[in-house]
Amino acid sequence: MQKINKNVVLALLSLTSLVFLLFQLYYYKFYLSQKNGAVFSKVRGSQSGQDSTRWHVVRKFLGLISSHNIPVYLIDPLILGLVDKDIEKIRSSPDGPSPECKYFCAPRDFTTFALLEKTWKHEVGLFRTAEKMGFQWLKIINKDPRLDGMDDLSGIEIPLHYIFKQASHAIHLVVFYERSGNYLWHGPLRLKQHMDRKFVPFRKLHFGRYPGAYEKPELLLVSIDDLKVQIPKNPSGFLEEMSHSRFLECRYREARAFFQLYPDDASVDAVEFRKKAKSLLHLAALTLNNLGVKFWLSSGTCLGWYRQCNVIPHSKDVDLGVFIRDYKADIIPAFQKAGLPLKHKFGKVEDSLELSFQGEDDVKLDIFFFYEEDDHIWNGGTQAKSGKKFKYLFPKFTLCWTEFVELKVHVPCETRQYVEANYGPDWKVPVKTWDWKSSPSNVQYNGVWPVDEWDDVIQIY
Amino acid sequence: MDEWKPNPAIKPHKKRSWYLAWKYKLMNQRALRKLCQTGAVLFLLVTVIVNIKLILDTRRAAYEEEEESAQDYDDEMLNVEVPRHPVSNKKVLDVEVYSSRSKVYVAVDGTTVLEDEAREQGRGIHVIVLNQATGHVMAKRVFDTYSPHEDEAMVLFLNMVARGRILIFTIKDEGSFHLKDTAKNVLKSLGSQVAPFLSWRDMWTFVGKKGGEVYGEKHAKSPALSTWGDPVLLKTEVHLTSVEGRNAAWSIQVLTRRRKRFCSKVEGYGSVCSCKDPTPIEFNPDPLKDNKVFNVPVAVIAGNRPNYLYRMLRSLLSAQGVNPQMITVFIDGYYEEPMDVVELFGLSGIQHTPISIKNARVSQHYKASLTATFNLFPDAKFAVVLEEDLDISVDFFSFLSQSIHLLEEDESLYCISAWNDQGYEHTAEDPSLLYRVETMPGLGWVLRKSLYKDELEPKWPTPEKLWDWDMWMRMPEQRKGRECIIPDISRSYHFGIVGLNMNGYFHEAYFKKHKFNTVPNVQLKNVESLRKDAYETEIHRLLGEAQVLDHSKNPCEDSFVPDTEGKVYVMFIRMEQEADFTTWTQLAKCLHIWDLDVRGNHKGLWRLFRKKNHFLVVGVPASPYSSKKPSSVTPIYMEPPAKEEGAVA
Repeated sequence: MQKINKNVVLALLSLTSLVFLLFQLYYYKFYLSQKNGAVFSKVRGSQSGQDSTRWHVVRKFLGLISSHNIPVYLIDPLILGLVDKDIEKIRSSPDGPSPECKYFCAPRDFTTFALLEKTWKHEVGLFRTAEKMGFQWLKIINKDPRLDGMDDLSGIEIPLHYIFKQASHAIHLVVFYERSGNYLWHGPLRLKQHMDRKFVPFRKLHFGRYPGAYEKPELLLVSIDDLKVQIPKNPSGFLEEMSHSRFLECRYREARAFFQLYPDDASVDAVEFRKKAKSLLHLAALTLNNLGVKFWLSSGTCLGWYRQCNVIPHSKDVDLGVFIRDYKADIIPAFQKAGLPLKHKFGKVEDSLELSFQGEDDVKLDIFFFYEEDDHIWNGGTQAKSGKKFKYLFPKFTLCWTEFVELKVHVPCETRQYVEANYGPDWKVPVKTWDWKSSPSNVQYNGVWPVDEWDDVIQIY
Repeated sequence: MDEWKPNPAIKPHKKRSWYLAWKYKLMNQRALRKLCQTGAVLFLLVTVIVNIKLILDTRRAAYEEEEESAQDYDDEMLNVEVPRHPVSNKKVLDVEVYSSRSKVYVAVDGTTVLEDEAREQGRGIHVIVLNQATGHVMAKRVFDTYSPHEDEAMVLFLNMVARGRILIFTIKDEGSFHLKDTAKNVLKSLGSQVAPFLSWRDMWTFVGKKGGEVYGEKHAKSPALSTWGDPVLLKTEVHLTSVEGRNAAWSIQVLTRRRKRFCSKVEGYGSVCSCKDPTPIEFNPDPLKDNKVFNVPVAVIAGNRPNYLYRMLRSLLSAQGVNPQMITVFIDGYYEEPMDVVELFGLSGIQHTPISIKNARVSQHYKASLTATFNLFPDAKFAVVLEEDLDISVDFFSFLSQSIHLLEEDESLYCISAWNDQGYEHTAEDPSLLYRVETMPGLGWVLRKSLYKDELEPKWPTPEKLWDWDMWMRMPEQRKGRECIIPDISRSYHFGIVGLNMNGYFHEAYFKKHKFNTVPNVQLKNVESLRKDAYETEIHRLLGEAQVLDHSKNPCEDSFVPDTEGKVYVMFIRMEQEADFTTWTQLAKCLHIWDLDVRGNHKGLWRLFRKKNHFLVVGVPASPYSSKKPSSVTPIYMEPPAKEEGAVA
């Protein structure tokens, strides 16, 4: 009797245990499937021997966005690098089935896509569907830089990045905004305090370390690994652009503080000069960009950008810098064709080259050529009447994009050092009298041009 | 959880077979068997316990997760103004209401929810709506019932408040002069004993529930015309109801979520928040064929007049060819309610810290809004500028789509405006007709980006200059002789009664009878003839066929124009030089059209309609069209009245 009892008890307990275990399993599955299908897709991935998880996730994602009519394009540098090698083949057979999974199956943590903000109606529906499909998503928002330059507007926060995660793979969706100056901008990826820092390995992301500026790309619809995606028409061009796309925002807050101290000049002359300087800069940028000559804002124009986000009204000219390695003989004829005759040419390609073009009504365009040494960069100056040479020394710098008077232009990334080298520690104080031979704090006397070379190195028109 | 992973599916079976296999072998070894049994029992018990714990854990984790993601989702939900009086257990609110000549305030449970002691501001009846369940403020309004028509607005507002809400009234300065019987009856129906007898400069406070009990009322009569009633302070208690009276079961959708958010925060928008058949907040008007303004940004300039903004956005979103994506509402100040209205319609809104005062504040707000618009839409060539107190005609975008290419191609144009200053009920007739005028009417207009960026923005009046932006834009230094295109029948209607330069009298005299187009899809005629030179040809043709009116009659009399229809008539008035508008002003006065300054002229010519006839007025000899005057006709001269009237817009 006792034995039976015990057995019954035992059986009962076993049964309960079984029920509980089944229940637990059910719960476990339910809970997980709501989050993502990690366990199951992993299994599938390992079965096929390749990381098809990625492929599946990308396919799901493309399905998701096409069901919401959101045009995205692929900007993943690793895939674009592979695609670029086979670009001819891919272009010629846009619909052909691919024999093997070549691009979307390399095991990676991320695949990166871009979204043009203006083509997207911000609707919540997308995220609901994404959740239903088993994606976890993260939105990174920040202040709208397009309103940052303006006094006292409560800049609305705009989405800069989205991350859709499923199983072991994540889609990084970078939101590109159109900005004044006819270019695209994406924001930096900065996590706010409460955000899950381990959501994905953020450090491995290809975009978001810095904000970036890009030209509007032409797109191409291709089919790779049996997935239809849009890619930049010229992948290698895009990758090139990406490698130095870093964007610097103007220091609007500091500029406002500057104008508090030194109220802006709103006289008719100042307004007129700014207008002319702006159109001269636009014309110069157009001309140099057409030639493919890289340039940046230098001297007073750079100071104006850095200090007050505007043209300094009493500066009377526009200054650009160009590396001597980018010099092209076509520069002078191109400017002449654009209606800017050469005013003077000092120095020669080998040494201290400087070009000046005559803009409208006395506004002058100066192009200084910069020579790179091991530990510094310099440009030269020449005094016409005496043939004296000067040298202006700068610490080494790289170039960043910025927006200035509705133009996407380069400035030295290390702007502060650059401006300080040129204008000294008191660059924040406006100076109306400026002597280019003695005022700059980085000027060095550099000898005199030999008299027999004068005809060549001092040309005034 | 990990250590349990290997167990799940296999354990019970294995256990069972293990048990069966050993059962018989160990049958005789009682002690061992017993041990095994006890072990098994213990083991099973542990399994059960751990399982229960696991389930509880998972459930909690899942719950937290849910909550977290919910938070993500409804981030803004958390920002909903938390009731200042945590009322979880509290059933009674102490309400204090003060009414006097120079100051009013309302305090709920010791927190001041309204205080207005600014001079020369806030005259009239202040109304506050409280949520009867939470006690938080859902709407705050002031109706300047000293001025005409404000009482109508108040009635409209009170009618829109849901039953059961708590209403608080208090008068500052004067609130009875234009408080008509209709309004008094509404107040009476709310339970006020005094309202029907409110008179000149009485002080009055009242707290009651809409459609329910009265919590208190106090009144102080003004002893004489020249003095005010004594200040009154009403202290009362309001009993909160436990459940929110209104709890509509809207299905969970984006639209309804917006609506729900809105209705939980604010009051006074009537059927937007009613459970049965709420007013739609999405309109889906017909798209326009070949819409040239689909991608033109629309900037709505707003202040703190949320009911106006609500009405305005409704009409804007109902206009054919509207593109909500391109609309941005710029709110001057960090006001919540206008922002709520913007969000209700799913539009984007931007708040702007007020700079400077009065006119300059408006002007700075305009500048910021326009700059922001062109920053946000960098490839836009134009921007449509609207204000919060305008109704937008159903064919507003159709009108712009048909005419915008002129602004792009004709350098002599300054703007396209939807408003005809002279287009009153009795002076506008033809919805398909457009004019060129030398003045800038504003009130719904299109601005060219190049004009703004190259000319206006750099020299926009600075905050310390107390200028009206529109007056500034009309100055010759800015306008530089350029003209605006306007329709005969306006495509916007200015309904605002309260405003910086606006009051009930002014509105009644100059805006109320303004004609407003309600016909959809009007095909504009002769758009091409509005180009600079073509327009001159057109005017000459018109003057050529026009019949000269009898100049011996009084032009103010109705009989001056024959009882015909569809004819073109011309009259000549004296206008010594370009800026001599003496006769025109008198004529405008007696025709009951805009006479505060000169509007709607084109080279000394005005075009309007009288008795359904096109009616041209030419200023002689200043106008180049004077040559059309038959030599026998003497231009009419009208003398200004002896004493100047000091009215200024």
